[in-house]
Amino acid sequence: MKDLVLNRRRLIASAAAGAGLLASPAYLRRAHAQTGGVLNIWTYNGFVPDDFLRQFQSDTGIRVNIRLVDDQGKQFNLLAAEAPNPTVDILTVAGHRFLQFIDSDLLAPVDTDRLQNWGNINPVFSESDWATIRDNKWGVPILSGAEVLAYNTEFVTPEEAQTWDTLFAEKYSRRNAYILQDMMSVLMLKMGYDGNMIAYQDDEAEAARIVNEVRDFLIAHKPHVRNYYDGAAEIQQMFVNLDVEVAHAWNGPIAGLMNDGFPVAMAIPTEGTYGFVYTLNVANNAPNADNAYLFLDALLSSPEIGAALSRSSGFISTYKDAADHLSDLERQSTSFPEEQLARMQFFRAEANDLKYSLVDPAVEQIKAA
Amino acid sequence: MPDLPPQSPADPSGPPTFWGRLTAWSLYRALTGLVFASPRRQFWMLILFPVIWVLVAHLGPILQMMQVSFLSSYPPSAGKEVVLTTANYSRFFGDSIFLVPFWRTMVFSVVLTLTTLVLMYPVAYFLARHVRRDNQLLFLMLLLIPFWVGEIVRIYAVMIILGNNGALNLLLRWLGLIERPIPFMYTNFSLSVGIVYLTALYMLMPLYSALEKIPANYSEAAADLGAGPWTRFFRVTLPLSLEGVGAGCTLVFLIATGMYATPVLLGGPNTTLFSQTIAGFFHVAGDQWPTGAAFSTIMLVTALVVAGAFNRIIALLSGRVAK
Amino acid sequence: MTRHTRILMSCIYWAFALYLLLPLALMMLMGFKDARFIGFPITSWTLDWYIGVFADRQVMFTFGYSTLIAILSTAIALVVGTWIAVTLTGRAFFGRAVILGLTLLPAVIPGVISAIAFRIYARVLGIEPGMWAIIWSHAVHNVPFVVLVVMARLSTLPRSQAEAARDLGADPLVVFFRITMPYLTPAMIGAGVFCMLLSFDDFVRSYFLGGYDPTLPVLIFAKLRSGMSPEVNAISTVVLVLTAVLGIWAERSMRRIKKQANR
Repeated sequence: MKDLVLNRRRLIASAAAGAGLLASPAYLRRAHAQTGGVLNIWTYNGFVPDDFLRQFQSDTGIRVNIRLVDDQGKQFNLLAAEAPNPTVDILTVAGHRFLQFIDSDLLAPVDTDRLQNWGNINPVFSESDWATIRDNKWGVPILSGAEVLAYNTEFVTPEEAQTWDTLFAEKYSRRNAYILQDMMSVLMLKMGYDGNMIAYQDDEAEAARIVNEVRDFLIAHKPHVRNYYDGAAEIQQMFVNLDVEVAHAWNGPIAGLMNDGFPVAMAIPTEGTYGFVYTLNVANNAPNADNAYLFLDALLSSPEIGAALSRSSGFISTYKDAADHLSDLERQSTSFPEEQLARMQFFRAEANDLKYSLVDPAVEQIKAA
Repeated sequence: MPDLPPQSPADPSGPPTFWGRLTAWSLYRALTGLVFASPRRQFWMLILFPVIWVLVAHLGPILQMMQVSFLSSYPPSAGKEVVLTTANYSRFFGDSIFLVPFWRTMVFSVVLTLTTLVLMYPVAYFLARHVRRDNQLLFLMLLLIPFWVGEIVRIYAVMIILGNNGALNLLLRWLGLIERPIPFMYTNFSLSVGIVYLTALYMLMPLYSALEKIPANYSEAAADLGAGPWTRFFRVTLPLSLEGVGAGCTLVFLIATGMYATPVLLGGPNTTLFSQTIAGFFHVAGDQWPTGAAFSTIMLVTALVVAGAFNRIIALLSGRVAK
Repeated sequence: MTRHTRILMSCIYWAFALYLLLPLALMMLMGFKDARFIGFPITSWTLDWYIGVFADRQVMFTFGYSTLIAILSTAIALVVGTWIAVTLTGRAFFGRAVILGLTLLPAVIPGVISAIAFRIYARVLGIEPGMWAIIWSHAVHNVPFVVLVVMARLSTLPRSQAEAARDLGADPLVVFFRITMPYLTPAMIGAGVFCMLLSFDDFVRSYFLGGYDPTLPVLIFAKLRSGMSPEVNAISTVVLVLTAVLGIWAERSMRRIKKQANR
């Protein structure tokens, strides 16, 4: 056993050898990824299907580096910190957040002529009014989400889920949760106003009055709310832990719960709701813009890829005929009945400056109340 | 206690050691002769590097942040002119909505710091005085294990303990103590459980190292002089460990003021802390860095003042005891 | 103290250990749950999540990457921190308090703020985001902890030893490496373990300063977007076991070295 006794020199030597092993070229090579066939992408977990990625890399010889992100604001911060010479080629922005990126010169317009498969996108998403800003397209829509009313089917009936009032009902006091920022837009719609605030662009006083009305409503209901939240994983855990029985949520995380067999369902209430679209965008001054277009065109090439995206993210596919390639349960969790879908309209960014200059402080006031 | 090297550096009798050969090397002698010529030069050689490091690596980023806090917009965007302004600071003082989370954070951090101190003192004392010296590291390691797991994963583990359908509620129901689950989550309680979980270590380490340094025979001497256990503790042990108390409290207080993920995940509608307010300027909106930077500066200065005042008191206390 | 207080304190210690370790036990347990989300009840069990961790090359790669960053940043922090501590201890000079204050600054700045400040600053200095940027930010963040621990130990160093060595003709460098440093070793080991912990657990700095390779916390955060699944628990458990094995090995070797030295 004597041989096993380490002395100090040998300990240091073996630790150094371990560090050297770890410092194998794999890590260092990445630092020089800018040369040759490379493509750098920032996106969410599940937004680029593994099989597709493998196929694309072997077909084109381009090495794709994916940096997983978890939030729109952080992407903006990262990109802003890198501008004007970003390392990234493609990033993932929600349609109604474009304007902020465009205003800061962070995105390049998408040249749809370079995408042969642009026509594979459902025109509801590709030609929608929010998609065109300053006569340009700024992103390739891949997935769509909606603000929905989610509920535990063991406690809440589908009839109750037909109105947003259920979320604030006495019966579900302290068993509910919502995202404050998003809830304010939905409530504006519910109260009969324009939640995008485009209608009040010339009437700031009216806009302020509406925001205050919504704010006061939410403050009045503050004693009855279980939690305000931000992240997808948070609301999922609240449902699993039975901390909430009804909640406002995005459809993606709820679809994840449904696909796992958890007794939860979602609906778009009669008062209507807002939807949003995740798009892939080309960064301004992207170092590998040509590869980016190659990638985007390949991603759009077949409805199966759209279905795979939908499956791994839980959001609705923007591809034509993608639903044909999903199982029944998957289709159920990533789609809505026609009459409910008709109640949805998209978020729009035109009046965001006005809207968020009022909504952000209101959110702070609600939290501080 | 000190591990003295077996040979003194200038021991002439033994075989030539590494140090012996090094000090005999002419280049080394020339260099050290130059550098260590006078105490004054020695001092300058010693201090040069720390000063450069501290200025470049520690102060630099903060100055950068402060500079941003005085700008009208950042990151610079097309078509917007950037001017110097103090508007970002007046925004804080002009609106009571920011003061609520601010004061809540300060009060909450102080209360939590004291709670952690009261909880950790016996643990540190037990470790330092009652565990055999050989085993102390092992006992300490046991408490360090959770810190190898990421903050987020740990918080989720706390969530599945405290949830309505969590381990604690299931246990209480199984014991027949309750009929309906108790909503532990998203309250001050769950938040405190989480923050203590994350900060306990920062209290434990300084307390332990302070207590460990106190020679056991001090207490024995006091006992020989007829002091009871409580008198001994309050007159001997506690004063001698004040340094550790000060360091631990400072660390925990400052860390608690800056916590972000924990209040987001474990806190509720009535526990919004200032760090969440600040992060909002960087995350959700994404375009209000100057305001976020200004608020950060305000919080930083306040936290430092509180910590400084606290340490002053500790220093005065231990100074009085020393006399 | 009396026997009763001793028993009471040992109870407090074990209660605290339970409080710290119970969530971990649950975390490990949840890694065996056959579902996509963690929580009760567990209706069926599986080993797939754990098997998946070892099969997932990205996870193993990331573990190595995080370990490398932890080791290198700790090494830098130890050198810099010890240097600063030695400079500041036992000397009174103009500006000492200012340097001490600045030294401790990074420890007290909220994570998000320091991360963004670092990101902007890195660009000013021309440091590319990536491994070295992360190492740099971790090292800076860890220096204050090293300084605190090492200074505390230095203040108890008997001066007579260093003076005796100097009387024998040793220059300051030799005095440091042969007298001061051996005395500081326990403190430096403690500080080093602590630094590795902080580096290993850091999310914000790694996120803002990282390139296309995620560190472990960054990878876990990204995976969280599609839910807190047993997969994340399994990853954390495997990492925990690996690091625990490393830690125990290091501790054992230290003991042996000590025994050898004492012989």
